[in-house]
Amino acid sequence: MIEIEHLTKRYGTNTVVEDVSFEVEEGTLTVVVGTSGAGKSTLLRMINRLVEPTSGRVLIDGEDTRRIPEDTLRHRIGYVIQGYGLFPHRNVADNIATVPRLLGWDRKRIAQRVEELLDLFQLDPAEFARKFPHELSGGQQQRVGVARALAARPALLLMDEPFGALDAVIRAKAQDDLLAIQRRLGTTIMLVTHDMNEAFHLGDRIAVMDQARLLQYASPAELLMHPADDFVERLVGTAERPFRLLSLAKVQEAVEPGAAEGEPIAVSDSLHDALSRLMWTGHRALPVADAKGAIIGRVSVDGILEHGRSLP
Amino acid sequence: MKLSSLIRLTALILLVAFIVMPHAFAFVFEPLTVNRAPAIYNQGSLLTLTLQHLRTVVLATLASTVIAVALGIFVTRPSGTEFLPLSRSLVNIGQTFPPIAVLAIAVPLVGFGEKPTFIALFLYGLLPIFENTLTGLTQVSPQTLEAARGMGMNDRQRLFQVELPLAFPLILAGIRLSVIISLGTATIGSTVAAKGLGEVIIAGLQSNNIAFVLQGGLVVALLAVLIHDGLGLIERLAARKLGRSLDEVS
Repeated sequence: MIEIEHLTKRYGTNTVVEDVSFEVEEGTLTVVVGTSGAGKSTLLRMINRLVEPTSGRVLIDGEDTRRIPEDTLRHRIGYVIQGYGLFPHRNVADNIATVPRLLGWDRKRIAQRVEELLDLFQLDPAEFARKFPHELSGGQQQRVGVARALAARPALLLMDEPFGALDAVIRAKAQDDLLAIQRRLGTTIMLVTHDMNEAFHLGDRIAVMDQARLLQYASPAELLMHPADDFVERLVGTAERPFRLLSLAKVQEAVEPGAAEGEPIAVSDSLHDALSRLMWTGHRALPVADAKGAIIGRVSVDGILEHGRSLP
Repeated sequence: MKLSSLIRLTALILLVAFIVMPHAFAFVFEPLTVNRAPAIYNQGSLLTLTLQHLRTVVLATLASTVIAVALGIFVTRPSGTEFLPLSRSLVNIGQTFPPIAVLAIAVPLVGFGEKPTFIALFLYGLLPIFENTLTGLTQVSPQTLEAARGMGMNDRQRLFQVELPLAFPLILAGIRLSVIISLGTATIGSTVAAKGLGEVIIAGLQSNNIAFVLQGGLVVALLAVLIHDGLGLIERLAARKLGRSLDEVS
């Protein structure tokens, strides 16, 4: 668990982060979102002490980070930045091996770990291990950047706009991959972005920041239903609200008994996807199939619309 | 084999052959002599002179490299940035001061021989290496450095594992420049009794023997071209590893 307590950073009279406190549960993905200059990157960089806080403290599993030597702390926290900062003079395998080498792992263990990570990120070791960063596409560089950050099995991963340099199609794929890897490894992730869609797509919890202050820290649904103030409401996007709610809910929640014609919808799909399928195919209802493909009921346009209302 | 490498190889073979057995080439230089003057330098072995010439150049460049790179590293650290303008002007003075003037000043202090030449070459060679080290170290992308810091590399690890390897091709280019300048400049060392190929040229000038002048000049020129080429090759290899063509680096 990460506890952020009254974290403040001032440069002269300019306050960049003001009295921010919140807690991040282990194994969750927290997104810090806000306009540029809101202080989100500085907040993130205070957690691995790339920026020293003016006041306040950060506890990781109850341990005050100020008591841990800087380098030791950073070896234990993965860090991914926009553009990734891969070392141009080192090949993919050596890039990924950076922190294990700093920690003095033996050669065999490093080689094993590198291979494991390349597999995890769907990069064929035979093809990619010896390539240099400039020979990779943007999406591949991004994966190597995240793999490098995860090399020494950090319990916490900090990501600063990790998808900012990718085009829309690759970005969506990279986001899904990150979610899958996070679920699989159980890593706690704190991710900074200015993209509200990304925040809703990825975040278990979302922290909204503006002008150095934390405005609201809540689950995505809570943020939609009860925005703390006008700024949060505007950032969330009033017109987008019902659709965002539907994106958060699964078909599971709207299954009703009965039969329907047409190609079945998976129970794990979001209601947003289900509604667009219904609209596109012109059906009023479609059957719902569980993971094994068995029909367990149906989902209807009316049933879905129920879930897009502010007061259920 | 490409034509260019063929030419290089021929030049190398010619150079070595001429230095080792210059008398075999006497027929080339005889037409240039008058009054039956000797066609081939006869006051010492060309091989010894060449090796001594190279020794002075290598030692001086080595010293310039150590000092210039160390200085370049120092002024790019946070604690040394204040000294950047000062070291720049110092190194610049080394370059603007003519080597012949350095010799004139150095001889009364350290005497005749190789020492004053060494000092002149050392001072003259500082600037290219220093400036290239500076450029190399400052052009490392801030993202790369941020990532290095974020992964827990300390200052020393960042310098040796990230900054210097990335600056290496540029530093090498500076060294190459410095070696080439020194090879030519070292000939004037013979005016203060340093052993080197300048001796051949000066002997030729004194006895009005164009053959001598030409021999000394040709050996120095061929050495310069070949060394320039060889170092350029290493640079390209280093730069290719970084995924950049040499044109981008220099």
